Amino acid sequence: MALFDVSGYKSHAGLRGQILGTGVGHLVDRTNQEFAVPVGVDPSGFLKSCSREGGVSIDLNHGTTTLAFKFRHGVIVAVDSRASAGSYIASKEANKVIEINPYLLGTMSGSAADCQYWERLLAKECRLMHKGRASEGWLKRKCTNQCHFHTLRTTAWDIKLYKLRNKQRISVSAASKLLCNMMLGYRGMGLSMGSMIVGWDNKGPGLYYVDDNATRLSGRMFSTGCGSSYAYGVMDSGYREDMTVEEAYELGRRGITHATHRDAYSGGVVNLYHMQEDGWVKVCKEDVSELIHRYRKGMF
Amino acid sequence: MALFDVSGYKSHAGLRGQILGTGVGHLVDRTNQEFAVPVGVDPSGFLKSCSREGGVSIDLNHGTTTLAFKFRHGVIVAVDSRASAGSYIASKEANKVIEINPYLLGTMSGSAADCQYWERLLAKECRLYKLRNKQRISVSAASKLLCNMMLGYRGMGLSMGSMIVGWDNKGPGLYYVDDNATRLSGRMFSTGCGSSYAYGVMDSGYREDMTVEEAYELGRRGITHATHRDAYSGGVVNLYHMQEDGWVKVCKEDVSELIHRYRKGMF
Repeated sequence: MALFDVSGYKSHAGLRGQILGTGVGHLVDRTNQEFAVPVGVDPSGFLKSCSREGGVSIDLNHGTTTLAFKFRHGVIVAVDSRASAGSYIASKEANKVIEINPYLLGTMSGSAADCQYWERLLAKECRLMHKGRASEGWLKRKCTNQCHFHTLRTTAWDIKLYKLRNKQRISVSAASKLLCNMMLGYRGMGLSMGSMIVGWDNKGPGLYYVDDNATRLSGRMFSTGCGSSYAYGVMDSGYREDMTVEEAYELGRRGITHATHRDAYSGGVVNLYHMQEDGWVKVCKEDVSELIHRYRKGMF
Repeated sequence: MALFDVSGYKSHAGLRGQILGTGVGHLVDRTNQEFAVPVGVDPSGFLKSCSREGGVSIDLNHGTTTLAFKFRHGVIVAVDSRASAGSYIASKEANKVIEINPYLLGTMSGSAADCQYWERLLAKECRLYKLRNKQRISVSAASKLLCNMMLGYRGMGLSMGSMIVGWDNKGPGLYYVDDNATRLSGRMFSTGCGSSYAYGVMDSGYREDMTVEEAYELGRRGITHATHRDAYSGGVVNLYHMQEDGWVKVCKEDVSELIHRYRKGMF
């Protein structure tokens, strides 16, 4: 791989030997791919047992609605705010957008724990890139403190060298690829995350969909979560490439509102963001029950 | 049941005795409810074996999109026309609306065989009702008949999601009936696996005081956008309008042309 050569990649085994010294036996590399899994745990087998009929069934649905679309004046991102644990509403004002930096946003759907963890890790990767602190000693100390995060070690090296060479912000494409590779390492182990990485870089507005299967797609319009079908219907029928900014805000709000109206696992407030050339702005945070009354004025 | 008395219903056993004579052993009544199931077949057991992981899995999804909504000037009914067998498109111009009589319509989603059979049986019962009682059957009663048919074969693997639409003395009527014997009266329904997309479009565009043309457009848009996103829906949009003096078939437009028209401003 080109990146391997450019970045002077060293295999994990070599690195770990340097950083941790010999005799560290509590980490086991799963396969040749060298991603860390705690000893004695077999996530894939455990998950199979959970899906069997009659046994305990862990239902890994993405219980939310998030949407994002590109248009002439940037990218609109809208999410709901309901966090559900089975049929219990754990939070009505959960934050499903992570503000990675002033020009990068990530949305979350699926398991709240997975999303929050991995997207925060992504934010750290992006920040590491930006900071440009290249001293090997500093990096070694950082790595030692979080020695069980293989992904950090590998990518941190790559990013350090990328940043040193290029001294510029990470592109949306690269950020989404980082997240995608993290997912790839833990594939089949039961991660549940559907995310959209939204940003503005040299190539213009960027919108990528990344999920726990390590699917990574660039596109102009996405919606994730179990309320996504309803949002797609609204977005598809109302979308025009040459919308004004206000019309785009309204379309994003409507998409989430009507999805929360029909989907039991979505609700709360609509958090609306607008990604512009000079960064994102948070447009509004409106309660869905008020919005639905406004839209249903002519309805029954 | 009131309907039993009114309609002169005779139990199956009595009728069968008259028609077939004694000694006919190849039909067995399942329970006291006297619904006929062929001998030696255990549908519920068979279905359980089909759902087991690793074995053959028969996926009983309702692969279609149909919608109907009431508004000031009657009821709009819109359906797609794709019949799929797994991933194979069996027909691109399937007829998913059964015209029971000039003032009653039934939509079909789910298993084509089940829908066609039971709704045709419903049409027969409605005609018999009219002949016996010298007045048209109400939408409520028609949907109840269908619901009771479903109830008799509950758990045996029927797959049908239907909307019974009509106009009777009480005004426009819209009922949703499905294979679980759920029967709901309402102002707006959509069935099939493309229904979520249609709901999004209908919810955001609906107003009770729409003009007739706006309502047609909403019905068309709902089906069109659903076929755009759902793999199991497609073909043409069949649009009906239920009015006080009966239904009219409004149009039959190809979805690919409609989506181009709607997406003029899109990418």
